[in-house]
Formats: sequence, C-alpha cells, structure tokens
Amino acid sequence: MAESVRYEGATKRYGKSGPPAVDELTLEVPAGEICVLVGPSGCGKTTAMRLVNRTVELTAGDVLIGGRSVREREPARLRREIGYVIQQVGLFPHRTIAENVAAVPQLLGWEKERARERTAELLELVGLDPELGERYPAQLSGGQQQRVGVARALAADPPVMLMDEPFGAIDPINRERLQNEFLRLQAEIGKTVLFVTHDIDEAIKIGDRIAVMREGGRVEQYATPAELLMAPATEFVEDFVGADRALKRLALMRVSDIDLWEAPLAHVGQATAEVRAKLAAPEVEVPYPLLVDGERRPLGWLSDRDLGEELVPGEPDAPLGPVVELDDVMRDALADLLQGESQYAAVVDGGGRIAGVLSIEIISEFLSSPGAKTDEQSAVERPHD
Amino acid sequence: MAAGGGGVIPLHHTFASLGGAFEFIFSPQASNVTGGTTVGGLDQVIELTVNQLEVTVLALALSLFIALPAGLYFGHRGTGELLAVGLGNAGRAIPELALIAFMAAAIGVGVLNLTIALAVLGIPPILTNTFVGIRQVDRATVDAARGIGMTEFEVLRKVELPLAIPTIFSGIRGATVNIVATATIAPLAGVLTLGDFIINRNVYGADGVLAGAILVALLALALEFSLAGLQRLLTSKGLKPSTA
Amino acid sequence: MTSAMLAAVGEVGEGFIQERTSDTLPCQATDKLFCFDWARENIGRYEEPTIQHLELVVISVLLGFAVAFALALLAHRRTWLRPPLLAGTGILYTIPSVAFFFLLEPFTGRSSETAIIALSVYTLQIIYRNTMVGLANVPASVKDAARGIGQTDRQILWKVELPLATPEIIAGLRIATVSTVALATLATFVNGGGLGEQIFRGGNIDFTTSIIIAGGIAILIALVFDVLLLGLQRLVTPWRRAVAA
Repeated sequence: MAESVRYEGATKRYGKSGPPAVDELTLEVPAGEICVLVGPSGCGKTTAMRLVNRTVELTAGDVLIGGRSVREREPARLRREIGYVIQQVGLFPHRTIAENVAAVPQLLGWEKERARERTAELLELVGLDPELGERYPAQLSGGQQQRVGVARALAADPPVMLMDEPFGAIDPINRERLQNEFLRLQAEIGKTVLFVTHDIDEAIKIGDRIAVMREGGRVEQYATPAELLMAPATEFVEDFVGADRALKRLALMRVSDIDLWEAPLAHVGQATAEVRAKLAAPEVEVPYPLLVDGERRPLGWLSDRDLGEELVPGEPDAPLGPVVELDDVMRDALADLLQGESQYAAVVDGGGRIAGVLSIEIISEFLSSPGAKTDEQSAVERPHD
Repeated sequence: MAAGGGGVIPLHHTFASLGGAFEFIFSPQASNVTGGTTVGGLDQVIELTVNQLEVTVLALALSLFIALPAGLYFGHRGTGELLAVGLGNAGRAIPELALIAFMAAAIGVGVLNLTIALAVLGIPPILTNTFVGIRQVDRATVDAARGIGMTEFEVLRKVELPLAIPTIFSGIRGATVNIVATATIAPLAGVLTLGDFIINRNVYGADGVLAGAILVALLALALEFSLAGLQRLLTSKGLKPSTA
Repeated sequence: MTSAMLAAVGEVGEGFIQERTSDTLPCQATDKLFCFDWARENIGRYEEPTIQHLELVVISVLLGFAVAFALALLAHRRTWLRPPLLAGTGILYTIPSVAFFFLLEPFTGRSSETAIIALSVYTLQIIYRNTMVGLANVPASVKDAARGIGQTDRQILWKVELPLATPEIIAGLRIATVSTVALATLATFVNGGGLGEQIFRGGNIDFTTSIIIAGGIAILIALVFDVLLLGLQRLVTPWRRAVAA
C-alpha cells in the first residue's frame, strides 16, 4: 500500500541570505510510482529528497505524504514509516544482518517472532540467503550490503521509500543486476519511491517520472522518460540527457515491441531441397536458414556448403552467434548484436524457442519510422512489467 | 637473607632482596625505627590493598559519573570540542604530587578530599576519549540510524555508544592508571594505601619498599586486565578487536 | 607515620604562632595559602630544581622516543612483533612510576638515573602506539604509487611513510612530554631532583606557597612544551592544519 508524495512550494535555504538549496519545489508523485530526482551535483536533489523525511527541515512550503503534512508528526515517528536507503548504506556494524533488517520493526515494538519472520522474508525478497542473517556487515560484499540496506528500508512495509544514489558505490556489473532486481521488486510491491541519482541512464531505466534539476534547486522538467527524450523542455535538459537521445530510447523498448524478421527454419535430417525451396521464396527476409531442434530451439545457421549435402547435417557450419530474448531491453539486444559481430541474432521466447530474427537494420528502420513514436508511447510501461 | 621461622624478625639489611620482599608480604617483621613494632605481614598488606582499591574505585566512579555523560552529550551534539579536548590536554599537565601535597597542606586530609583530588586526574582522559569516540563513529551509520526513525537519544544509546566503546574504554583505562598511580602516594594525604610501604622506608625497611613496589605494580596490572576483559565483553562481535 | 609527623609539625608551628606576634613570621608557619612576599624573595631557589626538572624531562623523552621509535620501525615490517610490543609497552605504562622507581632501585640505586629510566619507560607506550598509528594511516594508494615509481621499501619508509606519519608522531611526542613533565615531580622519591623536591622532601610536605610555586612552574613548563611541539608539528607538516592530540 503506497501513498502519494507532494511538494508544495518546498524551499530550503541555509542561512538568512544566499541561494536556496531547494527553490519552491512543486511536484506530485502519484502513489506507487518511482520519481527520479536527477541532476548535476549541487542541484539540490538529495536535499529535496531529505525534506520528505525531515532529515533536512523545510524553510518554507510543505511536503505532504498521502495528504498529510510531514510537519504534523515528530521526525522520529515520521521516519519509521518511510524507507530510507543511502549510498554508503550505513548498516550498523555492531549488529547482525538480521538485527539490522529488523531495526525499524524493533523501534515499532513488533514481537520478536513476527520480526524474525519478516526478516527472513525480506532477505529472500532482496535475493540473499537467509542464513546471512547471522553474519555481521563487515563480512558481506558491497552489493550484499546494499541489498540489506534495501531490506531494512522495506522491513516495516512503509508506503514511501527514499533512495539516495543507492547503487552508486557498486561496480557497474552488479549495479545493473541490482537495478533490474529492484525493478522486479517494485513490480511486486509497488511502493512510492523518490530516487536520487546523477546518472541520467539510471534515471531513464528506473523512473516512471523524472525530475531534472539544476543548481539552485530548481526543476527544469518533470516528465516521463519518453517525453524527456523526445521533447526536452530546455537546453539544459537537452544537454543533460545527452546527444545520444535516440540510442537512449532503445532503453525504453523491448525486443518484443517490434516486428521481427523470419528466417526459414530447417530441422536435422530434413532434405536440403526443401530448405532451398523455402530460401528461394520471395517473401524471405533473412537469406540464411536457421537450424532448429525438435522443440524449435535454435542450433545454428546453415551455410551454402551445408545446403550442398543431401540431408541437413546435425552440426551447422556457422555457429549460432548472439541469441536474444523477447523480454530483453532493446538497448541490451543491440549491444549483443554488435558484440557478436553478426548481422543477425536469433530471438527466442521464454522457453528458448525461436520467435524471430533481429538485425541492426530492423532496429534502425524502426527508429526512423513514424510508427516508432506512437509505439514508444505505449511502451512507456516499464520494462519490468 | 632473613633467618627463617615465623614470629618477629628484625629488619637488618639495608638492601632489598626478592626473598626479603616476599617474607615481608607474608609474615610480620620487626621495624627497627619505631622500636620493634611489627610491620608487614598479610593482614597489613590486605588492609592497605583494600584501602587503595577503595579509594581508586570511588574516584573512578566519581570521574565516570561526571565525565561520561558530559562526553556523550558533547560528542553527540558535536559541540564543546575545545573544552573536551582541551581539558584532556590540561589534565595531563597536572603534577599528581603537587595535587596531593596541596590537598594535604591546604584543604585537608581524608578519604573524601582524596577521592575528589583523584577524580580531578581521572576526569580528563574519560571526557576526551568519550567525546572523540562518539565523534569518530561513521557519519553514514549515524545518518542511517536517524533516517530510519531513531530519536536522538536512541541514536546515541543504540548506535554511537556501542561503536565508541573501544575508544571510551581506552580513556577509562588511562584514567585508572592515573588514579592508581596517584593513590600510591596517598599516604602523604593521610590515607594509607600500599604506597605507604614505598614512601616510608624508615618504617618498613628496604624489603618493605620492594614489597610495596611489587604489590602496587601487581594491583595496577590486575585492574588493567580486568578492565581489558570487561571491554572485550562489552564490545560487539561485529567490531574489529581493539588494539588500544 | 607521615600523618603523625604532619600533626607534629603543625603543633610546633602553632606553638610558634602563639609565642610570636611580629609580622616577620616565616611564611611556612602561617596558614596563608600563598605568601606573595615570600615568593618574590625566594623565587631564586627554584632555579636549580627547574633546571634539573628540565634535564630529567628532556633526557627521558629523548631516550623514550629513541627506543619507542626504533621499536616501531622494527614492528613496522614484522607484524608478529606488534602484539607483544604493544602489550609490553602497555604493561610498563600501567605500572605506577613510584613503584617502578623502587623496582629499579636494587639495580640502579636512588639517583636521577633511576628516575630517567622509569620516566622514559613510561613514554614508550604513547610514542610507540602513535608512531604505529601514524604509519598505518598512510594511504595505501600513496605507498602503491611510490612502489610504482620504483622506490625501495627503505626509501618508501623514509621518504613517504614517515613524513606522512609525522603529525601523529609529534602528537604522541607532545602527549609524552606533557605527561613526563608532570610525572618528573615524583623523582624526589628517589632523590632524583627536580621540582618535586620543593613539594615533598625527605618525608615532609613543604608548605603551600612552595607547593603552588613548584606545581605552577611544572604546569607552565608543560604548557610551553605543548605549544612548542604544536608549533613544530605545524611547521613540519604544512599540508595539514590540525590533528587531535
């Protein structure tokens, strides 16, 4: 169960004069959505986030959670109902992992048994072995610690979560994994999340809505990722998003979103004459036959030499090359294609069965076609859906 | 070497020997100054040891009572650094002999005065180390503690204090060293501790002096080990072992 | 005991007061906390003890520093030495100096030598520990870079690690020096000289004015050393402004 977060003219000023850190911020985050605050360092995004749980106090204006002003309650009480994840994690080194996760329930006075169950449930939810509960933070890797941080924030099932560059200190490989897992988690639990990052790619990948901020604590544009990429409101936003906007759009799409080509299929032991006949058909888009097994799972590409035999051999001449899934984010699929140094990639469904063929040509055709724009609008649902 | 047997043995040698010292500790001897009164022996040793322990514990308790809350408060708030650290520096410069002598000559003798004087020496290390220990707790950990909803007091009690234990204990042990050392010269202020054996050579003889020195050293070490053990008990398993 | 003697002296003093009525009473005999006149007249007699005191302090600290520093250098490479050295210097620190004086006495007698040895032993733990901490705090990246440009271990130690550890080392030196100034007053117990003799000599506590003067000089010396060493620390490491003591 999530609640909305609304900023109403929220302002934070340090000292009497001088520029505000957050300047009359007004925006609404609907319940259950992820709002990413993104911008260069010093733009006030972290300060804006902290106004919500009063780890930074408002100078003027208000912040409402589910319609209630944050000023109404004592800070400590307020914070127990808001999940809080910071970049350095801040696990308590003198407590076990389990004790760390159960910190808020303990503050709320839950019974031990209920807290223990919840802890085990959460550790599994964030992808950790519940046995790690008995260890101490120093014994865990950075990525594991960050997962514990997320588990701790979720422990009391808060309606709102604040996350300040939570994956910033993680290496890029694990960061991507954590991002994907977080999105999967969010699909299950649907919290209202305020997520701060300086990385526009992360913002696009994760956010339902993105607020691009600049120095002085001002929001330049508050929009969905697609809008941001296609219609940046100001020059600042355009620069911040980057010159590779077109490529970035690929991060918003899945392979299943576009029409794939079909390759003629061949089975082991089939007469090559049949296969050659298929190849000759005029509507063929891919000039190479794909060898599949009995379950329609791709095994490799057939070359002319293979076709010279009488029967289709079991071992194709050309290796299979890159294989992508229908579910894959288009940007990752393109990367695989380029890496595989192949023109074509076999596309399989969840069961590994062939669903089509992807090529660079398809992708660029799609991007430049007018149909691409409308298709993207509907693909604004996050890749994790 | 002293002649064997129990009973009263005259102190003849002007040079101490280990054997003589042990004899002194365990069996009463005759003093050749005050005309044959008995000195030494286990009873007297125990009495003086108890005195020293008593005054040490009292002074330590008083020092803790004053310095610990102050250090925790200032450390948590982050203010008063000048006071906390400055007092630590200043405290080191106080010559214990002058303190005790001044107390005896100007204020008056007795356990109460002595305890206060000893506490003057015990407060600075505890105050400074408590302050520094709390300040040195990782700021991210404190931020997280506050952010998940602990009140200021809970942050201090549940997070800052446990993590500062090694440093705080270092201060307590330092204070104890100061206090025990000064309690050793407490006889100058009329409180008879083990130091009396050392200071009054004429009464206790060379063996007595050596015996006193050994006993004081052992007492100090025993206290240190006890505190070290207590520290190990109180330090969370999740923390690395303290080297101080 | 001492208290009996104190009482005896007090009585004699009182007897003095009852019999004499002029105001040329010796300061020793009055109850006054501090006789300014007497202080002004007799300040000269503190000159010698002060010099002795300074000698005791300087020699002890230098000796202690030399030993502790050498031990730290030894333990820097040979980590197995660290626990025993830390424990050893710790034990020596814990033993009260007065007791230490008389543990040494059978070997070195009642002299300033005994006092110096005991005082320098007392400084070992502080200087050893601070040196080790200072060396440990040198960032690994800096050492790595030094190794990368081809410096030998020895060069790294003397050109990189020790200079960077200097603030910590001098901080330890400061603490040790101030402590030793205060502690050196105890040298009177082994006839070692110093300001302590103006406080307690041969079984008698001196009168309060003298105690205050002697104690005050000791505190003053400690303060001067502290400031001087702080200045040295700032001078030697201009890249760092302040280090907690």
